Amino acid sequence: MKAFAHLSATELRLLARDPGSLFFMVAFPSMLLMLNGGSNQLEIRVPGYLAMILAIGGITALPATLATYRERKVLRRLATTPVSPFVLLTAQIVAQLSMALAGAAIVMGVGMIGFGVDPPAHPAWLALAFVLSALMCYAIGFVIAAVVPRARTAELIGLLVMFPMIFLAGAAIPRQGMPETMHRIGDYLPLTHAVTALRESWSDAPTLPPLLILSGIIVLGTALAAALFRWE
Amino acid sequence: MTVIEVEDLRKNYGNTRAVDGVSFTVERGETFGVLGHNGAGKTTTVECLVGLRKPDSGTIRVLGENPARRRRALAQRTGVQLQQGELPDRLRVAEAMRLFAAFYDRPDDWRAVLERWGLGPIANKAFGDLSGGQQQRLKLAMALVGGPELVVLDELTTGLDPVARRETWTLIGDLKASGTTAVLVSHFMDEAEELCDRVAVFGNGRIIALGSPRELIGRTGTGSLEEAYFALLGEGR
Repeated sequence: MKAFAHLSATELRLLARDPGSLFFMVAFPSMLLMLNGGSNQLEIRVPGYLAMILAIGGITALPATLATYRERKVLRRLATTPVSPFVLLTAQIVAQLSMALAGAAIVMGVGMIGFGVDPPAHPAWLALAFVLSALMCYAIGFVIAAVVPRARTAELIGLLVMFPMIFLAGAAIPRQGMPETMHRIGDYLPLTHAVTALRESWSDAPTLPPLLILSGIIVLGTALAAALFRWE
Repeated sequence: MTVIEVEDLRKNYGNTRAVDGVSFTVERGETFGVLGHNGAGKTTTVECLVGLRKPDSGTIRVLGENPARRRRALAQRTGVQLQQGELPDRLRVAEAMRLFAAFYDRPDDWRAVLERWGLGPIANKAFGDLSGGQQQRLKLAMALVGGPELVVLDELTTGLDPVARRETWTLIGDLKASGTTAVLVSHFMDEAEELCDRVAVFGNGRIIALGSPRELIGRTGTGSLEEAYFALLGEGR
């Protein structure tokens, strides 16, 4: 437990020292919000930004970190200590989630205080949707880390998966006004369901289907990653 | 008391016989050298000792445990410095030491270890900003912070300048004096001659000679372990 706490704190510290993660997870969402401050649909945009934060961390930073650890034999060094490698993976999740929470708190604060966004209608559902969306992104990140051997490639693949997805899923910008084809592609993207779940619990009535789909992706992705992941 | 028992260890990678029937024992408090050229089977043997690899056949006992089955229990009592194995670039020296100390049930005081290894002045430096020698010293300190009964050090002084090498020898001498059992993997014969009670000379996956440096020098009628090593290699061919 002591090892786990220390490892989580260390991973969070390292994540916060990564300028890319710090900017895109903590500052960038609020910047986007300010740029769109004149829009009257901020209750739609803010939950989308939450999904964006999770996707940036989980689908890009997470696999890059894991692949770097594997490439530079950090995992191997850890394997000669009493710490189980799974403790490291869990610590990664804790660090990612903490960083995402910080980013989420800031963008929600800026939205509600600075731009008069209505507070979430169903906070407990929002929390549930946030955690499931996070785990879904981490599952995708673990799959990338499992199938991509090198650190540089893992980072690139992560970006290639994450970047189109935050747009087509309606996380960075709402999907209204997108051409029909783009809209239809979006329907099949995992992150779209995260956006829906977060949005529903923010302002509409929360429904079960998006949460179930997220759970399904978590189970599938984790199983796939566990089957394919190599420690070296 | 015997700390390490290896009997008829074999390990193949594909068609390559990396380790081909190796047997030796290491007694408590002993400093045991594993010597040989690249590809002689040193690193594979050591990786089997610490449970990173599973032998194809043969038996290994380390501190009474089978490393392949009880890696984690053994890791609690063993300090390892690997040839490869780095840290995240942005992790700082003091953070690395504190983190590794937290992995063990009864660690040494990490600040004291840090000072003893001369890492105090660079405690706030990031791993990525350290020189090769500083990284090496940190890795050694990390291997010792858990208060191990056995240390396994692969390429102890590779990358260190002559002064740092001598300093490291002194610290290994202190470690010996404290009763810690040590396995040193090295290319450097002067180092082995200075530090090791006994050495195993590896060649092509086998041990071609085993004994104290003095014995090997005497047996070959040479003047140093380095000369003895080349004489033994010549015999082995």
